[in-house]
Amino acid sequence: MIEVEGLTKLYGEFTAVKDLSLVVRPGEVMGLVGPNGAGKTTTLRSLAGIIPSTRGSVRICGNDLASQPIAAKQRLAFFTDEPRLFDYLTVWQHLVFTARIYGVAGFEAVAEGLLVELELAGKRDALPSELSRGMKQKLVIACGLLHAPEVIFFDEPLTGLDPLGIRRMKDSILKRAGNGAAIIISSHLLHLVEEICTHILILKGGCKVADGTMAEIRQRFSGTEGSPDLEEIFFRATSEAGTASTPVNPPSQ
Amino acid sequence: MISALAYLQLQTARNRLLVRIRRLRQPKYLFGGIVGVLYFYWYFFRPVLMSTHTGQGASFQIFGITPELMESVVAMVLFVVVAGSWVFPSQRAALTFTEAEIAFLFPAPVSRTGLIHFKLLRSQLAIFFTTLLLTLFSRRFGGQAWIHAAGWWMMLSTLNLHFLAGSFAQTKLMDRGLTTWKRRFCILGLVGVLGVSVAAWVWVGLPSFAWPAKVVTPVAVEKAAEGPGSAEGVQHVQAVRDYILLATRSGPLAVVLYPFRVIARPFLASDRASFLAGFGPALLLMLLHYAWVVRSNVAFEEASVEASRKVAEKVAAIRSGNWQAAQKEMKRRRDPFPLGPVGAKPVALLWKNLLSLGQGFSPGLWIGFSVMLLLVGLSVGPSLGRSGWGAAVGMVFGILFSWSILLGPHLLRQDLRQDLQMMDLLKTYPMRGWQVVLGSMLAPAVILTAVQWLLLWVGGSLLLFAGVKGVPVPAILGVGLGASILVPVTNFLLLLIPNTAVLLLPGWFHTKEAVQGIEATGQRLILMLGQLLALVVALVPASLMFSLIFFLLKFATGALWSAIPVASVAAAVVLVGEVSLGVAFLGRVFDKFDLSDELKG
Repeated sequence: MIEVEGLTKLYGEFTAVKDLSLVVRPGEVMGLVGPNGAGKTTTLRSLAGIIPSTRGSVRICGNDLASQPIAAKQRLAFFTDEPRLFDYLTVWQHLVFTARIYGVAGFEAVAEGLLVELELAGKRDALPSELSRGMKQKLVIACGLLHAPEVIFFDEPLTGLDPLGIRRMKDSILKRAGNGAAIIISSHLLHLVEEICTHILILKGGCKVADGTMAEIRQRFSGTEGSPDLEEIFFRATSEAGTASTPVNPPSQ
Repeated sequence: MISALAYLQLQTARNRLLVRIRRLRQPKYLFGGIVGVLYFYWYFFRPVLMSTHTGQGASFQIFGITPELMESVVAMVLFVVVAGSWVFPSQRAALTFTEAEIAFLFPAPVSRTGLIHFKLLRSQLAIFFTTLLLTLFSRRFGGQAWIHAAGWWMMLSTLNLHFLAGSFAQTKLMDRGLTTWKRRFCILGLVGVLGVSVAAWVWVGLPSFAWPAKVVTPVAVEKAAEGPGSAEGVQHVQAVRDYILLATRSGPLAVVLYPFRVIARPFLASDRASFLAGFGPALLLMLLHYAWVVRSNVAFEEASVEASRKVAEKVAAIRSGNWQAAQKEMKRRRDPFPLGPVGAKPVALLWKNLLSLGQGFSPGLWIGFSVMLLLVGLSVGPSLGRSGWGAAVGMVFGILFSWSILLGPHLLRQDLRQDLQMMDLLKTYPMRGWQVVLGSMLAPAVILTAVQWLLLWVGGSLLLFAGVKGVPVPAILGVGLGASILVPVTNFLLLLIPNTAVLLLPGWFHTKEAVQGIEATGQRLILMLGQLLALVVALVPASLMFSLIFFLLKFATGALWSAIPVASVAAAVVLVGEVSLGVAFLGRVFDKFDLSDELKG
């Protein structure tokens, strides 16, 4: 479970994220959407403990990220849009290293299973330079899932994947959510968000413009034309007029 | 079309300069720029401005080499460089462009010759800059600055054209079925034929070499090596010089080296008249090379795309501080030791960084290092011969040990300096900051300690076995043991300083664009001085503790061999305390570290 209360991130005078509160329960998938510069990546990086927040609190499975960072980080995984790998470690060495960092006893069986599931079994001894971008992304996912995280953050998870890879990634996200993980996905691909997310949070200029379940969001922005899709909702919510007229919702409870 | 390409070059250079000037508004670049300017003034410009040379006279007279001999030497060096450019390359001709240039220029209606001209134009910028630096350097040895500058430009431009034309010619030969190895065999065969011809010419065509001394003995040869102080030595050296000059200015070498002399003459000219006399033929040779390049019609585009991609990857890796990734080829390595899933987490970082270190520590490197040690020992041996070969080689080990202390922490960068680009990944790990800092420093510390212990123990054993005049055995034993105790913790201390700099001043190690030029040089100098100052301050308490314990024990027992190690243990305890405090402090900095905030602006 992810609980965020009053998260604020300042860079000097600039406010990247302002007073953000949200809750994502086990099994829920929240889509974080917003125009460029809205503060999506900063939010995710703050939630993952990569950058310290200026104010507010973040709790991961009940562990406060500021005061209990080890326990909190032990339960989360963060996937960036660009696969971050060590150039000099092979596929299997990445898994060995990750297992030690997260203390995954008996990781071999899990790692073998993940390699098969992600079609990397034949690339066990390959270096990142020998992998395609999609394969690198799969290796990052294998490393991230090795310790069975209960909280997962995805930042543009479909960047650079082919159609088959996109399908598999969507299935994988839904499978993890089905197994009880709380997931936040940041993406510009609104059809993806609409397809797999149970909740939506729209950010603009570091502020929450709207949030709720898909149905709640649709109802709020429906207007006179019936049921709009997420793309239409996005434009209405993030346009100046939309922003001005739409009250900010309290966090999901 | 050329005007558009020239516009691109000029605007790129102009904008780059403007960016640098604007960057000086940030204090870190301003201070770096000031220190860099002072450094360049002090090291390069001041000697030129303060020079007592009248501006006349031949260059390099400081070495006592005649202009004729210098011309032969430069011509031979150029010959070797050019021959190498025909032997070593194994790839097809590839002009390296940036990825943006490929994206814009390759699909544009620009002819192949146009692309070559663009490449030549761009290489001229680099040549001008190199010429400036080389002139500032070579002017220190005499001669007129403008002659040096024009000479360097002529030489570098002609070589650049030759390398390009040569790569085109080699590609054509490849297309006609001449493989790389066949080409190498042919070139080396030609060089071999030349060598035999020269030997035959020296044997048959030249008078026999004769030492000026009446009797040629090893003693006479030794005296010849004693330097200019010895009249007999001067005569011997002069005789060797004259004979080399004779051999290079007659027979086959006179013919083969002629074009290289032509290239070298403007640079080596002693005055305006001799420069002008040499400039014409050199310019003609350069223009012939230019014609060769532009008339070569070789498809280089495909190879260029690949070469440019590799260069872009290397540049990205170097900018991120990951020099390992910038190496020619990354190889998979075996695990340095089995890493279990449960245990101390810093060990995982040690394991990872040892794998990274393995990329730079190939068997070839170790063999080369051992051969170098042996050669240095053998060459230094005779001059230290009083105590025998063992003592001489032992002392060489001692010198290398001292170098490793000073340079090792700068050369082995498999710590936070390498992982700065991966900092956001490290921050997601469930580890305390101090664990990350400690784990990051383990690999270079372990490797350095292993190498230093090896040098100490082998060198110390040789010294003990051979004995050193005036140095008692207990002193050797004590110093060896003491150094062995202090080395590991000293390495941690030395590594702590640059790692502190990485976390406190990440912008100086990592920026979105590469920081080059004078301000970058200044930044490095400031960092180096800062590190030196921090090291001195950190060593003061340990040195005081060492002195106190050493003199107490020496006074009480008089035993040198035990006083030094015991005092070293006491000093090591102080250093361990300092390192622990440093790691704890850095851990807190790491926990609060925000790379995006640090690098903003």
